[in-house]
Amino acid sequence: MSNRDISRRSFLQGGLIAGVSVTLTPLSSQALAALMENSVTVPSEQWLGNNGKARMRNDSLSKVCGSKVFARDIRSKDMPGWPHQQGHAMLLKTVRADRIYDGFDLSLLGAELQPDRIVTAEDLDRDGIVFPEDHAPDPLLPTGKVPMFIGHPVAILIWNDFERFRQAKNTLKFNDKAIRYGAEAPFYTRDPYGSFRYVRVGGATSADEDEFASLKDSILFPMIRERRPVWNAQPNLHGNLTERGLFYADRMKQQLETPPEGWMVFDERYKTPSIEPAAMEPDNGNGWYDPATRTLHFVVATQCPLEAATETAKMIAPSRFGLSTLNMHPGYTVGYGSKDHNIFVYYAALAALYGGGVPVRLANDRYEQFQSGIKRHPFDIRYQLAVDKQDHSFKIFRADMSVDGGGRINYSPSVAAVGATAAQSIYYMPQNDLQVTAYHSRGVEAGSMRGYGTLQSMAATEMMVDEIADRLGIDAIDLRKKNVLLSGMKNTQGAVPAGALRLHEILEKAAGNELWKNRHALKKQEDAKDPDNWYGIGFAICQKDFGTGSEAPMASIEFTADGHITLRHIGIEIGTGMSTSQALVVADFLGNPASEVKTGETEWKELQLTSSGNPYLMSQAEQDAMLRNPRWVGKIASASSATNSAYYFSHATREAARVLFNHGLWPAAVEIWRQGPFGGQANPYVLRREDAHWVDGKLTANGMEPLPFAVLAKRAHERGLVTGATVHGFNRWSWAEAEYSINGVRERLPLDGLAVKYGDGASNAIKAQMNSAGFHLLDRQNIAYPATQLNNAAVTYYSPVATLVELKVNKGSGEVKVLNHHSWLECGRVLVPELVKGQLEGGIAMGIGHALLEEMPLYEGGPGEGDWNFNRYRLPRAKDVAVWTQTSEILPPLSPSDPSKGIAEVVMIPVVGAIANAVAHAIGKRVRDLPITPVRIKEALNG
Amino acid sequence: MANRPLHMTLNGQSVGPVEVPDDLPMIDYLHEYRNLTGSRLGCGQGICHACVVIVDNPDGTSEEVRTCITGAHYFEGKKVRTIEGHASRDESGKVTELNPIQQRFVDEFAFQCSYCAPGFVNAATVLVEKLQRQPISKSQLEAVIEDSLGHHICRCTGYVRYYSATRNVLTDLGLVKEG
Repeated sequence: MSNRDISRRSFLQGGLIAGVSVTLTPLSSQALAALMENSVTVPSEQWLGNNGKARMRNDSLSKVCGSKVFARDIRSKDMPGWPHQQGHAMLLKTVRADRIYDGFDLSLLGAELQPDRIVTAEDLDRDGIVFPEDHAPDPLLPTGKVPMFIGHPVAILIWNDFERFRQAKNTLKFNDKAIRYGAEAPFYTRDPYGSFRYVRVGGATSADEDEFASLKDSILFPMIRERRPVWNAQPNLHGNLTERGLFYADRMKQQLETPPEGWMVFDERYKTPSIEPAAMEPDNGNGWYDPATRTLHFVVATQCPLEAATETAKMIAPSRFGLSTLNMHPGYTVGYGSKDHNIFVYYAALAALYGGGVPVRLANDRYEQFQSGIKRHPFDIRYQLAVDKQDHSFKIFRADMSVDGGGRINYSPSVAAVGATAAQSIYYMPQNDLQVTAYHSRGVEAGSMRGYGTLQSMAATEMMVDEIADRLGIDAIDLRKKNVLLSGMKNTQGAVPAGALRLHEILEKAAGNELWKNRHALKKQEDAKDPDNWYGIGFAICQKDFGTGSEAPMASIEFTADGHITLRHIGIEIGTGMSTSQALVVADFLGNPASEVKTGETEWKELQLTSSGNPYLMSQAEQDAMLRNPRWVGKIASASSATNSAYYFSHATREAARVLFNHGLWPAAVEIWRQGPFGGQANPYVLRREDAHWVDGKLTANGMEPLPFAVLAKRAHERGLVTGATVHGFNRWSWAEAEYSINGVRERLPLDGLAVKYGDGASNAIKAQMNSAGFHLLDRQNIAYPATQLNNAAVTYYSPVATLVELKVNKGSGEVKVLNHHSWLECGRVLVPELVKGQLEGGIAMGIGHALLEEMPLYEGGPGEGDWNFNRYRLPRAKDVAVWTQTSEILPPLSPSDPSKGIAEVVMIPVVGAIANAVAHAIGKRVRDLPITPVRIKEALNG
Repeated sequence: MANRPLHMTLNGQSVGPVEVPDDLPMIDYLHEYRNLTGSRLGCGQGICHACVVIVDNPDGTSEEVRTCITGAHYFEGKKVRTIEGHASRDESGKVTELNPIQQRFVDEFAFQCSYCAPGFVNAATVLVEKLQRQPISKSQLEAVIEDSLGHHICRCTGYVRYYSATRNVLTDLGLVKEG
């Protein structure tokens, strides 16, 4: 059996992956910091204000001093125990996809600059490297094959010193002279990455049972013939699920083709560009493989450290190198999705592996980042929407989307599905038929990028709704109000969104905005005042999901007898400020934030978790069988992506803190309050846990003496109460739940994993129970997991944002200048207002870039050829974003118990639609392809 | 490629002479020879300004210089300040005081991932020092800030807090006259 035949099912038991001991010590951790005399986050005394709110980010001191925060900052001499010599590597790539690859010739480098080591596909095969299946095939292109995409790597070149590496790279870049191309060949092709169809026919109202819907019935999947989706099944109302779905889809199609008299059928096409996340930190990794101990030490920039560690261990362990230990050090990073599920990590690990005992750094420059960093390629969208001309209600929504998925599958199927299921934006659609297919192309690899398909689909929806209002001759916000989703109404999959929908509140505010109310008069006025420009005002609103439908947060909180609180969390700090906000979340139940925060933690031995299968695809029977193992969970740990920190990460943090309160602090408090004869000061009053409040860091309830946290911590330790809790949660659009017996008290919790620690004063018998990496691992009872059918819901958690834009269009040049914008955001309970507003400000800037500036050729002439940079890919600057004048408002939560909702992606979307709609208002024509460049404006004007 | 000796004053300390290739970019000198990685590589073609350092001229003026497109030897004999040199530190290396720009960026949550923060700090520090020599009027304030920071690219923040924090520092330091 070759290494490739080894089962790919992933089992994580304790800290072993494929028999490899894995430790993850983030660059930010105190453990590593103590060795490096450096630290990223500071204790809470330094960042917490007197009012209990964050007065700065807890990582801000390190960041503002340019300290070694990023993995990219690290050199071998910075790492304890590593050899000082630093090697450097680069990937050699083909830049043509129309010829067979015939090998390479590095003689142009001369003898002096030859690499010290070259790794090719043949080396990987011979050495038994099992490259992660999700990023296969051919991570390095073998000779004799046609490249899968432009920029396909063929070799890893490694030099043992910087200077020869630098000079060699200077010689090799901007040309493909080292590549030998063979005969012309057809482009590589393969079947589409994924194809999905979401059909729903609602009842008479949203509250009535659906006739057919993805959630209640099925998502529809086509056959693939000649690389395209085809529907072989026959529409049949009484047939199987697919046949029934096709019956309804067919009926909708016919209704749109021959609509009733009172309907208007809107039918237009929208196209989005190929875009680059352009995270300022390009992909990088730095590793040292020590052959004597078969240990890989690996500093890496990633949004998914556990996945990276798991797959790296599985890749190397079966090879001739062997792997006993993987010490991974995730750095602080930034990615907007582009460092999630990223093949680059494995190239960097291989570069280290083949370093011959010398640490090797693989770090993209910006040209290389454009060439291979994860992209988002075009959505080509046809929207049809039937509207009642009398009452303006939406009747049937039909979408047909083709998504260019680039050269490797990555997350493109998921992006396509999420894009389709978001297309409804904020509107109730009585019937829908949404089809989407993600195709392979020879473009650069595409995957997760901020917006994840919803940017593409919803911006187009908002452009559509605005244009429909225009054609009907009605106010565009009035049209939105007519069709807005209200709490409890179903989405296009037939699922009910979580909690209250407050879209109508935002629409009311927008409708009352003076600019909006007076936009036509203002336009006349401004156009007259400034005859060189057309003035326009536009509006858009959307709601976007947060989370992936398979979220698995983990957190651990412990406090010492003297009141020091430590929070460990799986979250990686990618600029969102989660290390600060999660530290504050602890205060919900401990009255004080965490003094110390360790992010990017992926060592959770105490929970002894195991996982297998695919949570999106497993059957209910399969899940039920897996759940018989009390240690099995649907997913080990979430990546830091999909806008998942505010809600999902907070869930784990809060639940851990709640356990500590209920089983540590509250019993300690009650004991103190009951001190004295006949139950002390507590006796005359009625004391209830649900009446407990933290006030200025002290606990009181029902008139009891306020007790400082330090006093409670000391007592909890003395009494051997619960002083530490590690939790794991699983969410598939609702939380898994189980019962736990904690210190003799039975509770049902929204967790599928729980381990506790007891205080210093616990008896020996109780302490003996803490035999799972220092914790007492509790057995869950009566586990209830979200039904697998909920995968078909596609989304239930949403956050809404709306934006109003003022702009002008120059009549001569066609340039668009954004003059000002105002946004409304609803995100439940705000953890740190400055962080939320920062996401809004940054997201809007990215949206402005998407609407007006950013695009690249997909294939030839595009970034895969290795010569793209910021001179060609135009990013928004401060002058483009109304930096001084922009405003926004955050709706107050309904109550203090609102959950915190994720907003990091939704913030970039409405501004795109608002700009397109403002341009239409300005010039009187619609531009439906993005970005709205001067050329496209002129094309629109000239018909 | 030939090597030549390079000597400069870096964050107040005399550094070198050290043999350095003729064509070595300053950013590589900082990263690979001095292990000062705070001046960050964003683009490598002088557009994003994440890599800038401050050069202090003999006439008392200062300017930001892009290290990704400027050779290390350009800085021969010059006084250079990098991001690592702004804060005051005690003997153990712990930060005791930030410069006014750094402090304000921290107080106003001006950065997120912070990859570009060193460039913004340097540009804004140069501006503060320039206005300390010659204050401006309030009516010029926003344009002057735009001029100083306008080339710097940030992908996270949308620039709002960098700009308002800089404006607030200049105002609070009394570098902006009425008018």
